Amino acid sequence: MNAEQPTPPAMDPNAPVRVETLPHAGDLRWPMTWYFLTGKLYSLLPWKKTAWTCAGFPIELLLGLDIFPLHPENMATVAAAQKQSRRLIEHAESMGYSRDLCSYCKTNIGAVDTGAPLKHGGIARPDIITCTNTICDTHWKWFQIQAEKLDVPLFVFDCPKIVSGTDDRTIEGYITYMVEQFFDFFDFVKKHTGKKPDIDRMIKAAEQSERLSALWREIYEYRKHVPSPYGMAETSASFFPLVVMPGVRSGIRFFEKILGDIKQRADQGKGTLTGRERYRLMFEGIPFWYRMRFMYDLARYGAVVVYEPYTFSFAPSKPVNLGYMETLRQVARTMMDVPYSYNLEKRIAYFKQAISDYRIDGVILHENLSCRPSSTGMIDLKNALQQECDIPVLIIQCDMNDPRAFSEAQINTRIEGFVELMERRKTHSPSVGLD
Amino acid sequence: MEKNHMETIAYFDASHDMPEEVIAAAGFAPYKILGDVRASNDPADRYLPAFFCPAARSIMTEALARSGQWAGIVVAQGCNATNRHYDVWKRHVPTPFLHWFNTPLKDDDAAVRFMKSELWRLMDAIQRHFDVLVTGEMLARANQESNRLKERLRVFAGLRAEKDMTNREYLSVMIKSMTLPKAEAIREIDAAIDTISNRGPFPGDKVKVLLTGSDVTYPELMDQIDEAGFRVVRDDLSLGERYFANRISESGDPVECLARYYLSIPKPATKVGLRQRLAYLEGALAQSGIKAVISQNLKFCEPYAYDAVLVNNALKSRGYRVLHVEREYTAAPDNPLATRLAAFAEMG
Ligand code: SF4
Ligand code: SF4
Repeated sequence: MNAEQPTPPAMDPNAPVRVETLPHAGDLRWPMTWYFLTGKLYSLLPWKKTAWTCAGFPIELLLGLDIFPLHPENMATVAAAQKQSRRLIEHAESMGYSRDLCSYCKTNIGAVDTGAPLKHGGIARPDIITCTNTICDTHWKWFQIQAEKLDVPLFVFDCPKIVSGTDDRTIEGYITYMVEQFFDFFDFVKKHTGKKPDIDRMIKAAEQSERLSALWREIYEYRKHVPSPYGMAETSASFFPLVVMPGVRSGIRFFEKILGDIKQRADQGKGTLTGRERYRLMFEGIPFWYRMRFMYDLARYGAVVVYEPYTFSFAPSKPVNLGYMETLRQVARTMMDVPYSYNLEKRIAYFKQAISDYRIDGVILHENLSCRPSSTGMIDLKNALQQECDIPVLIIQCDMNDPRAFSEAQINTRIEGFVELMERRKTHSPSVGLD
Repeated sequence: MEKNHMETIAYFDASHDMPEEVIAAAGFAPYKILGDVRASNDPADRYLPAFFCPAARSIMTEALARSGQWAGIVVAQGCNATNRHYDVWKRHVPTPFLHWFNTPLKDDDAAVRFMKSELWRLMDAIQRHFDVLVTGEMLARANQESNRLKERLRVFAGLRAEKDMTNREYLSVMIKSMTLPKAEAIREIDAAIDTISNRGPFPGDKVKVLLTGSDVTYPELMDQIDEAGFRVVRDDLSLGERYFANRISESGDPVECLARYYLSIPKPATKVGLRQRLAYLEGALAQSGIKAVISQNLKFCEPYAYDAVLVNNALKSRGYRVLHVEREYTAAPDNPLATRLAAFAEMG
């Protein structure tokens, strides 16, 4: 399958592994610096306004209202990367929050209660808090708690659920309900911040956001190359502008640069594991932020994650050149139907397509102890993919922000078994699933 | 099979979200699927993660075993169990009719309009699938019957603080109210009112408490609370006051009345409105003079676990004694729970 036909790599766990990073990978610091400094400035200047918001919320709406988005989830990942999440989670648990609750939420609760600094996942008190239930209950439950605690006004978008088999007519009705809420939201924002929607600003933000998303989608096109010029070890960091600052110029500049690197690498037939790419993987779920080395551990086996719905989810096609109302309807449609929360029927079809497009050899499903909604349906997803695509699928139970859930020995053993199955399949033995 | 041989449409909801009145108006007996704490969840665990709330897994287990006896199933949105499990049910629970009812999260004007449109969609689906007619008049009659039942439940529940009624007896009548055809349930409630009215007064050795948190679906848990010396005389549970606290308006468009009713019931943790939830609890405590609260959270039930810290701290700050426990889903004696309840009782 692979152009390079590498032989199975030696499984020496101590052998040094080299994953080629892009020449401009380090430029991520510029949009990040811009984001953190601007956020700080907006938090300090009384006439500037900020909002906490969550994944699945259309940031362009906030930018169109001249409100700067702050992201508790993103700051929770910062805490994990800085090895602070465990301490903050345990602090939240000492306040009475259950061990079983989402570790992003508990990281944020711990960070706010201990006054953690920005570099350890802290976040400023916003002027308003807004969120949706499109992805999970946690988002709005968490933000409701924090809105009460910080005494900040809260707006929750109620996104109807598009379950398997929902027909188009019903979906159009759901969209109408969502659009009504946009107008309620504008009233809410005006009441609490004095800001009004600026249509031109909103349209410009939407256009820039679409530009950013289109660049990301183009990057994904290049990930189809064999060997893949870009892997999840890098996308997990570089997708940052899509999450927190779509519609902002410095993010676009960064994506243009890395796309240039990727094109060049692809033209030269090089990949993130040049000469050693043997297994192309799909990874479903949120990565282990406290243990990003996991992706490099995979590289030891010649395995590269070439597609992950998680980062792709943040780059849906955005509406441009539509009228105002149609733009709002399109935004509503996108909010309700992101790949990360696709219903089971759509999710299976979506995975099958990606497996074929990206020439996937195996799928890892992260059954996330923090994230019940995304973990539900994984058993059916696994069975469907194994049966219909005839590839190994591995379910790993872990947690994206709580290092207590990461069992190194157990995960290594399972990954080894999984790699063996992929290898057997490559050498034409029938594949068998892992539980 | 029910005594009057009405066909049953079963439903799965996470709170009091399912408009049973529509099912009743169409000539079916609404049946709330509650699962069976005494049966293993293994059948559902073949499809659902084991770290999802065990009540929802038990509900799916019951559906897998019994769906052949039901004319159809409706799943009403409440928490991530309902919307994410629907897809799994669709693949594995055999039923000729499976409908998704998308209840709103909020209670504002847009939510009322949305609720109405979902009610129309449900009525339309039932009419088309079963070839029955549901007129406004039929729905109005179902609303009236629902009010009659709620009225009887209010009388019955009022006896908790006056008479020697066990926690189990209260929950058992609540379960019947949601699983039997309504006319039969009303007869059962009236019989229970007669029996309890003839009982002795509230026992002097019991402490009156308010029970809040995840829904309680099996009587063994209520027994444990009784055995520790507590009588639940107020609550905000779905198999409890949430189900009968309010009445459906009988004037005007019955669909509108139903929509407004469901959005005005005491707030569960699955709906936006933490302050309203707290206000209901405080009102119940103030009205009844109760000083102690038992707050319990079923393992993995996120909506109530998120609320618990703020709600309990708020109640404590107003001078109430609050016990918070995380409980297992088990009919066997829950020893850690018993220990916590005993310690709470000792505190006086
Ligand atoms: S990890 Fe899952 S539960 Fe937690 S905030 Fe993200 S989507 Fe929600
Ligand atoms: S017990 Fe909690 S998690 Fe389970 S169905 Fe009910 S509300 Fe949802």
